[in-house]
Amino acid sequence: MNGTGNPTGGWRIPRHELALLAAIVLVYVVTGWLDPNHTYFGNWAESRDIILRNTALLGIIALGAAVVIIAGGIDLSAGSMVAFSATTCALLLAVFSEVDDRRLVTVGPLGIAAAIGGALLSGLLVGTLHAWLITAIRLPPFVATLATLVGLRSFARAMCLFVTRERWGSESQQINVNTPFFAWLKEHNVWISTGAFLAIAFVTWLILSRTVLGRHLYALGGNEQAARLSGVRTENVKWFAYCFGSLTASLAGIFLMADSSVAQPGNLARGYELNAIAAAVVGGCSLQGGVGTVPGTVLGALFLRLVIDAVSKLIKASADIYEGMIVGIIVALAVTLTQVGQAAKGGRVLFPGARGLAAIPTIATFAGLLAMMGAANVDAIKGRTGVFGMVVGACVLAILAAVRWMECRRAS
Amino acid sequence: MTPLIAFRGITKRFPGVVALEDVTLEVRRGELHAVCGENGAGKSTLMKILSGVYQPDEGTLEIDGRPVRFTGTRDAERAGVAIIHQELALVEQLSVAANVFLGRERRTPTGLLDDRTMLEECGRLLATLECPVPPGTPTGSLRVGDQQLVEIAKALSLDASVVVMDEPTSALTEAESARLERTISRLLARGTTIIYISHKMDEVFRLADRITVLRDGRHVRTVDRAATTPREITGWMVGRDISSGDLQTRRQRGGRLLEVRDLSLPWPEHPRGYRLSHVSLDLHAGEILGVAGLMGAGRTELLETIFGAGEPTWTGEIRLDGAPVRFRHPREACDARIAMVTEDRKRLGLFPDLDVAGNVSLCSLRDALRGGLVSRRREETMVSATVRETGVKTPGVHAAITGLSGGNQQKCIIGRWLLTRPRVLLLDDPTRGIDVGAKAELYALIDRLCRDGMGVILTSSELPELLTLADRIVVLAEGRLTAEFSRAEATEEKIMHAATGGSPAAARA
Amino acid sequence: MRRQAMADTRLLPRAAWAEMACAVAVAMSMAAGLPGCSGQQKPATPAGPGAAPTAAAKRLIFITNGDDPFWDALLSGLKEGEKRFGCAAAGLTVSRDVNNASAEGQIERLRQYATQNDVAGIAISVIQADNQSIVEEMKRLQAKGVKVITVDGDVNRNTFRDARPFYIGTDNVVGGRMLGTATRALLEGRGLKEGGYVQFAGFTDNDNARSRMNGVKEAIGPAYAERDRMADEMDLPRARDNVRNATQNHKDLAALVGIWAYNAPAIADVVIASGTRDKYVVATFDAADLAIGHMEKGNIDCMVVQNPFEMGVQTVRLLKAMIEGDDAVVQEMYPRVGGPDGDIYTTGLRVVVPSDASPVKKELFDPKVVEFMTLPDFKAWLAKYNLTSS
Repeated sequence: MNGTGNPTGGWRIPRHELALLAAIVLVYVVTGWLDPNHTYFGNWAESRDIILRNTALLGIIALGAAVVIIAGGIDLSAGSMVAFSATTCALLLAVFSEVDDRRLVTVGPLGIAAAIGGALLSGLLVGTLHAWLITAIRLPPFVATLATLVGLRSFARAMCLFVTRERWGSESQQINVNTPFFAWLKEHNVWISTGAFLAIAFVTWLILSRTVLGRHLYALGGNEQAARLSGVRTENVKWFAYCFGSLTASLAGIFLMADSSVAQPGNLARGYELNAIAAAVVGGCSLQGGVGTVPGTVLGALFLRLVIDAVSKLIKASADIYEGMIVGIIVALAVTLTQVGQAAKGGRVLFPGARGLAAIPTIATFAGLLAMMGAANVDAIKGRTGVFGMVVGACVLAILAAVRWMECRRAS
Repeated sequence: MTPLIAFRGITKRFPGVVALEDVTLEVRRGELHAVCGENGAGKSTLMKILSGVYQPDEGTLEIDGRPVRFTGTRDAERAGVAIIHQELALVEQLSVAANVFLGRERRTPTGLLDDRTMLEECGRLLATLECPVPPGTPTGSLRVGDQQLVEIAKALSLDASVVVMDEPTSALTEAESARLERTISRLLARGTTIIYISHKMDEVFRLADRITVLRDGRHVRTVDRAATTPREITGWMVGRDISSGDLQTRRQRGGRLLEVRDLSLPWPEHPRGYRLSHVSLDLHAGEILGVAGLMGAGRTELLETIFGAGEPTWTGEIRLDGAPVRFRHPREACDARIAMVTEDRKRLGLFPDLDVAGNVSLCSLRDALRGGLVSRRREETMVSATVRETGVKTPGVHAAITGLSGGNQQKCIIGRWLLTRPRVLLLDDPTRGIDVGAKAELYALIDRLCRDGMGVILTSSELPELLTLADRIVVLAEGRLTAEFSRAEATEEKIMHAATGGSPAAARA
Repeated sequence: MRRQAMADTRLLPRAAWAEMACAVAVAMSMAAGLPGCSGQQKPATPAGPGAAPTAAAKRLIFITNGDDPFWDALLSGLKEGEKRFGCAAAGLTVSRDVNNASAEGQIERLRQYATQNDVAGIAISVIQADNQSIVEEMKRLQAKGVKVITVDGDVNRNTFRDARPFYIGTDNVVGGRMLGTATRALLEGRGLKEGGYVQFAGFTDNDNARSRMNGVKEAIGPAYAERDRMADEMDLPRARDNVRNATQNHKDLAALVGIWAYNAPAIADVVIASGTRDKYVVATFDAADLAIGHMEKGNIDCMVVQNPFEMGVQTVRLLKAMIEGDDAVVQEMYPRVGGPDGDIYTTGLRVVVPSDASPVKKELFDPKVVEFMTLPDFKAWLAKYNLTSS
């Protein structure tokens, strides 16, 4: 990414963000048209709420992931941090509730403040732990956050069992949270979490593009040694980055807990870290560090959630089975697209040699299988899903083979 | 007689720049053909086309009269072309032997890697290059000069009929360069054709049969060496007459800025036991102190220790303006108005994702603050002034830094440090890989800075450079300070003698 | 890979147009090419954005709590109900949505369906009885006019009674009591007057799990001590681990009680693998495929079997009646509406034993409430409805 990922870039047109915006509008319009209920056009308030709420949740975590990635690191533990923070919040609420109140209805404002504060504090502590592991112990970020990925969730589950047993005599894998404050939060969750998301986005943007710290973050990600030799306190900058990442995850945990009225550390937010990283990457962050913007990340999160929602509308069932595939395809496509322009100009070939030849049928096969599975939901095709899948696969094969043939012709 | 290699009408474009335009050039069999040009003239690009890294957009390449089209380096290797790159292409995690045989590993009859043979052969190759490094050493732990020798070994192991050397001596000492020249003679005697890219006129005029000059992507001239002079060649390279001007109108020497006393830096893993041993020196305002020495003598370690960027295990004393200091982080040195421009700007100096403004302003962002936030306008003003002052040629302050030539990049980094208004400037081999024209500009810049009262410590492997710039020269040999000369008494032989461990003549107490 | 400097100063360099065009093309093909282009209608004529929706088919959707073979039998029931009550003619299609064993999953699904106008009725097996968010989503759907009932897994009837008008399912307390009674008979049949037992379920705070476990405890009597209730969150490997841990932690363990359908094969697998089959009484709920196989081999002593098939059939019947305003049917199913327990429709229960030789005897059970069968009879019953599990 030129210019757009560059914090000092002058008023350069943000190509990447514009392309994302165009894609978002397009998906919205096309889905609204194809959906027999025309939900996006007729009844869009509900869908808007769903999309906004999910985007805000994903986006808050994605902003944290983006900051860490821009600084040259990576945080694999965001999902577990969300679960840990939600559990901490619920447990503190339990501590501050009356003895037999298993639904936590009786927590006073002090308890609520303590619970929220405690959850956010846990984010700070985990971020600090990451920074320490990475700078003092010299663990690679991948390893350090992998450890917390598995460790935090397990710790949260153990905490949950422990506190529920101590407090109420019987162990439970989750804690129900029916506190009126959080119920109110849930009622207005769309606007509160969207507002929080936009506020955090603004602050993040400000930091990244207008403060010395932000510039140091980009420098650190771009070339760590050079940054150090230029007087940047790299340890401190990393500390900020990882704390920011964990803090955003813990905030998201509070929202998630309020929204589902329960803190269940075993399952909560599994895989969220990968979605967050995907949103950041789709929005233009480079995993090598030093590149990325806030608008891009925001749009990336919105795009991802929009496509997932669009799939729900179109297959008329819950999309969470397809969610993984969707995110995977989008990430691969988004990063590929930024290379397409380069490849065409620089004479680079998309399907070179034997590797390219092998890639073509592989992609065609995946496309065919995907079409077959998805089409199983469509009554019009039912019974002939196999044929449908093969037709789609054959079409993809033909297109890619044509591309390859044109490349061969150009080369000779 | 058909030339061994012929470039006919080669044109190569990259986004935003035309690297080569209609270049036609013939290389005869068995000759040493030198190619000269400033950075950005297209020499490296032309050689990359020959070695298969790039494909030309127009024109043809002929080997032995037949047009060929290389789609990769393997094709070129198979056609007998080996290239020794200027930017080292080694895998740092692998050993020297592994790098030398990368892609052509020797196998046992059962198909497994035959490490023993590879180590032996590599050892032999290194011996001919007289490189003392054990072939099993991880390449990443070698200093730049040794890494380059590994590259040369790799090309030599290919037994090619054409060897392209792209500035091979830029990181070699005089002794090693001499050894390389002996190797080259051996190759020539065997009938190998050598294409030699360099802008060191003394080398070129010692070795070449014919010389080609490229400028701005075009072919300017090809002449027999005997029919021309270095002055003429450099004139064609820059399109103007360069005189290595005399920068020596007296510089005023001011008060003592920096004192280093008995500086010792331990090195536990090494038999010698230390990187620096009891080094003492002084630096005054307005003077340029040159530090000479071979590879591994400890020049960079000396500068890093002063700057607070090296190992914190040093002993001795460093005094700034009389007060003892001990920097634990470059930030502290920076705050004390000491600046350091590192060697190897690509690895240690540049931020490739930031533009020119971002690279230049990094250390002085605090001066561009307004209301706590970085003001773009102030930053641009600051950077533009610096860019003008250092003479950086760039399309604009928001251009990508990777698009600038090496010399301009180096100027940007120097500019970065100049913005911090240092009183002591440490320069570690600043003109490495920079063409003649840019070098002259850098010399003028450094000279100007000194007149303004800065004290400069300058490391260099090029003795003529030190003799041009420095007021005094100290020599390091294997971590010890073996000699100190004023400019008047310094000669290349004396310096070389001290650098190779000769008796410490006139060593300071 | 570093980019070169762009000296081009046009508004959008050429490459940018190419990139945007690609992005747009890809997005378009993704949205258009995605599966299920037009749902129920013929792909050839999607209605334009301005047209009113045609008399589109309305949907009845069943949301499960997680993935379990139990729901396959229910799906057969749904299909049977669809046929039997003439849904197609009435413009109703019935489908099943399998949840991912989390509360958020059900909340998200309920929200999604709220945005889709062609959803007419929803039946849900609530995964967490006390979860307020699920209740609120259910209420929101009903406010929009969608009919919502709970099946098999109910909300906490003490606190959230008003979340749904009706519940279809097993009377889980009764079911629990049946199993407790049977387990006691089995233990006494072995001559064990006392001992410990452990109960295994997906979630211990799920309504049907809770009720069953309480029922078991009540019926098994004070002579036997409930050592633990272990939850596995519908994770099969964890279900097995729980069984292993239970057998190691409690030395006086005499009986292993499985509460959800997949717990039965989990228990049986573990005791077979460890060679301790004879040490424990294995009493389970539901007749999953694998469980039936285990009972045939003598690995399970007694099953209390629900009737998910019937649940499915009645679900369709009820929802269709609610949608069409057919009060007669509703009245027939729920004669005591308004009274305590008037909102519950129980589907049948069976107690299945391997053979007449089992210590569990027909006489222990009230034939009005539960049907007693031996395994061969049960299998015959299954075959009659083309089922492989229940």
